[in-house]
Amino acid sequence: MNLLRIELHKILPYRTVWVLLALFVFLLVFILYAGSKVSFNGSELGGELYALPALWQRLTYIASYFNLLFGILVIMLVSDEYTFRTLRQQVINGLSRAELVLAKFCVVLALGVFGTLLLLLLGLCFGLLYSADHSLSAVFGQIDALSYYFVQAVGYMSLAMLFGFLIKKSGLAIVAFIAYAKIVEPLLHFRLPDAVDKYMPMKVLGSLTPTPGQELIDQLTTATELLSPAWAMLPATGYIALFCLLSYYTLRLRDL
Amino acid sequence: MADILEINNLSKRYGGIQAVDRLSIRVERGSIYGLLGPNGSGKTTTLGMVLDVIRPDAGSFTWFGQPVSRDTKRRIGALLETPNFYPYLSAQKNMEIVADIKGVDYSGIAPVLQLVGLEQRRQSSFKGFSLGMKQRLAIAAALLNNPEVLVLDEPTNGLDPEGIAEVRELVLKIATEGKTIILASHLLDEVEKVCTHVAVLTRGVLRAEGPVSTILSPKDQVMVGAPDTARVQEVLQQLPFVESFRQERDLVHLTLQDGYSSMDVNKAMFEAGVVLAQLTVRRKSLEAQFLEIIKQ
Repeated sequence: MNLLRIELHKILPYRTVWVLLALFVFLLVFILYAGSKVSFNGSELGGELYALPALWQRLTYIASYFNLLFGILVIMLVSDEYTFRTLRQQVINGLSRAELVLAKFCVVLALGVFGTLLLLLLGLCFGLLYSADHSLSAVFGQIDALSYYFVQAVGYMSLAMLFGFLIKKSGLAIVAFIAYAKIVEPLLHFRLPDAVDKYMPMKVLGSLTPTPGQELIDQLTTATELLSPAWAMLPATGYIALFCLLSYYTLRLRDL
Repeated sequence: MADILEINNLSKRYGGIQAVDRLSIRVERGSIYGLLGPNGSGKTTTLGMVLDVIRPDAGSFTWFGQPVSRDTKRRIGALLETPNFYPYLSAQKNMEIVADIKGVDYSGIAPVLQLVGLEQRRQSSFKGFSLGMKQRLAIAAALLNNPEVLVLDEPTNGLDPEGIAEVRELVLKIATEGKTIILASHLLDEVEKVCTHVAVLTRGVLRAEGPVSTILSPKDQVMVGAPDTARVQEVLQQLPFVESFRQERDLVHLTLQDGYSSMDVNKAMFEAGVVLAQLTVRRKSLEAQFLEIIKQ
């Protein structure tokens, strides 16, 4: 808990953090609001789109696009510590390398909690506003989607943390992170059979928030094999642990 | 009583450069230990290794007779190379982070800021500080948990003369409180003025170690001249208190053992029937001695 307190000391007065978080909130609200205004065959889609309980899955799917933003934020926070040489100073002052990684992982968890709570709030707002069904089973029926989203966000940010610790420079680390998540691994997916690539990190994390209406798409194209969100939780948690461990070894083997 | 710091055969190589080469030193409790050497001689690397931020290639060290740990770090306050703080945070906020890491109450912050003369600027952000203020904030942070040992790497680097004098005074004041201080410096004058013990490093190799008074004592150099220099040299060879001598143009330069002066030389020469035409005493500068040590 002390580690989180130390991190909050650094983050709370940091304007960039607030700008990025505000951007996340604004874009998410904007998309949801815009979505409610889309009309199809003369009727607004809001009621259908935001019908509970399916809303939770749609919501987490939309939010999953912003994981990159969280990742970039984490990379900046990690690479700042190299730039300011404060990793070194913290070790001199008494923290161990494991605690340095743990402290940043606390930030990752805190950001994950923030994102999840925001989705909960937005889901309740839009759901109760547009959904006809307000029964408890409708509201909380598929709310487990939020827990999948939480693990996904933490997974993305853990990978970003690893890139930050590994590469040191924020610009380079951000490029490498996006390139891996959006280009390198998807290219690998083409080369590998589905049975293998469904266990790769980006695909595992992606399958935590499946595309709404994937069944329909699958009928039109060849279906890709994906883990169900519940099944993906296990490898996702494993990857998070692995990214933390690799971050730790990066610091272990390096002069600060 | 265990030594404060004991280093055994510590080595570190960066690519083709041997930064520290089988260094062994011991720092006793209560001493002000100077690590003296020109830039790039391995001072910072050595301190970085014992402060747990640089991985040694070989060798070992102990603090208070124990391997480095959270407990030993609590008893050490250190600043290495540059003052490292979050630029967008105020002095106070930066100190609060240090206090949280060291597990000290925030009430300890005001007194150390007062001690280094920054209490007026505690709410200013670090990035607006002058180099001297940054350095003093780093010293304040090092003093925060009232450590037994203070490790200072070039603490007067980049300070103006007034700042240098202030820091030196501060170091001496802290030392009178019974703290052990390890001070790295490339300034001979600084080590001589402040330290009780010194280790001289060049290119990562230990050249000399011991109390400052024996390693860096300003010895007199005596020069004699006489019409018959050959005879002078003959006599000098037989004098037991003459450490060394060498001919330089028409004068002979001698180094005497401790406790002997030019008078003894004159007397011995006179007794041997040599009349000196010239007898000059010149204080040998510390710089000259230091250069002699590092050229070995």
